Amino acid sequence: MGKPVKQQNSFLKKLLTTRSFSILVVLIALLIIFTVFSPGGNFINAENIKVLLAYGSEFSIIALGVGVLMIAGEFDLSIGSILVFCSYLFLIFFKLNLNYFVVLALTILGGIALGYINAIVTTKGHIPSFITTLGTMMLWRGLTLWFSGGLQQACDVSSSSAFLSFLNGTIGGVFPVQALWFIIVGIILGLLLHYTRYGNWIYATGDNADAARAMGIRTHIVKMTAFIIVGILCAFVAGMQIARVSCFTSRTGEGWELKAIAACVVGGTSLRGGIGDMAGIFLGAFAISVIENGLVVLRIPYFWTYTVFGLVIVFSVLSSMYLEKQKWAQK
Amino acid sequence: MTTEANQNSDMVKMVDIHKWFGRVYALRGIDFNLKRGETLGLLGDNGAGKSTLIKILSGYHVADRGEIYFDGKKALIHSPRDARKLGIETVYQEQALAPNLSISRNIFMGREPLKGLGLLDKKVMDEESMQALKHLGLRLRSPDVPIITLSGGERQGVAIARAIHFKAKCVILDEPTVALSVKEVNEVLEFIRQIKREGISSIFITHNLYHVYDIAERFVVMARGRKMADVKKEEVTRDNLSDLVIKSAMVE
Repeated sequence: MGKPVKQQNSFLKKLLTTRSFSILVVLIALLIIFTVFSPGGNFINAENIKVLLAYGSEFSIIALGVGVLMIAGEFDLSIGSILVFCSYLFLIFFKLNLNYFVVLALTILGGIALGYINAIVTTKGHIPSFITTLGTMMLWRGLTLWFSGGLQQACDVSSSSAFLSFLNGTIGGVFPVQALWFIIVGIILGLLLHYTRYGNWIYATGDNADAARAMGIRTHIVKMTAFIIVGILCAFVAGMQIARVSCFTSRTGEGWELKAIAACVVGGTSLRGGIGDMAGIFLGAFAISVIENGLVVLRIPYFWTYTVFGLVIVFSVLSSMYLEKQKWAQK
Repeated sequence: MTTEANQNSDMVKMVDIHKWFGRVYALRGIDFNLKRGETLGLLGDNGAGKSTLIKILSGYHVADRGEIYFDGKKALIHSPRDARKLGIETVYQEQALAPNLSISRNIFMGREPLKGLGLLDKKVMDEESMQALKHLGLRLRSPDVPIITLSGGERQGVAIARAIHFKAKCVILDEPTVALSVKEVNEVLEFIRQIKREGISSIFITHNLYHVYDIAERFVVMARGRKMADVKKEEVTRDNLSDLVIKSAMVE
């Protein structure tokens, strides 16, 4: 009789002490605040939710990859620049009059190459990825600006309705397909991280690379695949963005690198690697999108976004550290 | 089986090992052997070359000259992966475990069992981890607990349980008792006795000959990149051994 009750308690305790729980609380609080304070229920209306899910998911999808990379113990500050470079690649391939799916596939190959370059410089050159990707961040952005002349260029893919509905459609006319992609990528990376051998290698590599190596794990390959996952996601989102806005802009992705790290940290990922989970990263990425959207809807000046980001980051990290301490103190 | 021959043959044989680090001549022609089922104490002051020698055996460094034979065959060990494939397990202070990962994920690190579709077989990992720990006489609450919550002695226990579970042929214990309380030291020494009972060869590296004297059957003393002494336990008392280590370190 007493046992099931106890089990229920321990389940509740487990839920309450998971790192991702604090971000869930933050997220719900944000949703309530924005719902209550938005003028005329602007936040919760169907049109805004559609915008939030379609636009926000672009950033969030990339943040999921950054989370995996951070668990492996590395950073990628170049995501915004990989994104813009891949957008430009998309534009080039688009001009060749290829099938748009082929254009996307070629762009993804480009993303793989850029991720690979980050990985090779970091692992073979023994350079901290913070520095490597700071360099590639400037390099890819700079090259893109040079090649494109910093101009917007039309890239209208609407002639292929299949391509449009693949990346910028809705499901049942309501649910943006971008949000579906966000969920799919979250599930795939979650499975990868928590239920596969490779996932265990990612954690081990980020937590103690020496131990991982002593146990026969090829840590440089683990890191390389994580960099490449980020590259693939950036390229995919580049295609997604072009499908939505029908043009190439050289300023896309600016400031995303730190926002992605913030999303992961808010979701309970450690800056030192080895700690984090996909549920937390997913919620963290979504929370960042919600904040950006909510503040716009509330018609609060843009600079407040950073203030709110700052408060949310500090609060969630403090609370998740507190909860973690509680968890192991009780055991 | 040719048990007689096997018992007397060498599990590890290192011949004329030299190693330079830049201008530092770290190992100056070391001959080293470890017999089957033997527990060997490797002694010497800091900088004597113990760790370098052992890191060559475990694949962290590659010798500039010399040969290694493992289990009777010539072995080329260029990475920890190579060493592990041969059955050389290391129980290092800082390098053996991932602190934030669970016990079972640590025990199966790099050798995770799979069920269909390439998914981890968590159930097997958890059950076998608990069995391996129990076998060592270590009772821990749950295989899900991260290593960071364990005591120093328990951590060594997890690493040793892993070595035994995967049927290592040679276990390298690099300062396993350093920075532990007296109670924990005794715990760890008991784990090492279990390695011996399993018939696994082991190399116990330490400064503290009081920890190693009771357990090891033979002692190798190193100083400044050279082997200074190689004695069986029958040949030395604890005090002799202590003198030997000190004198070796003093010789110019």
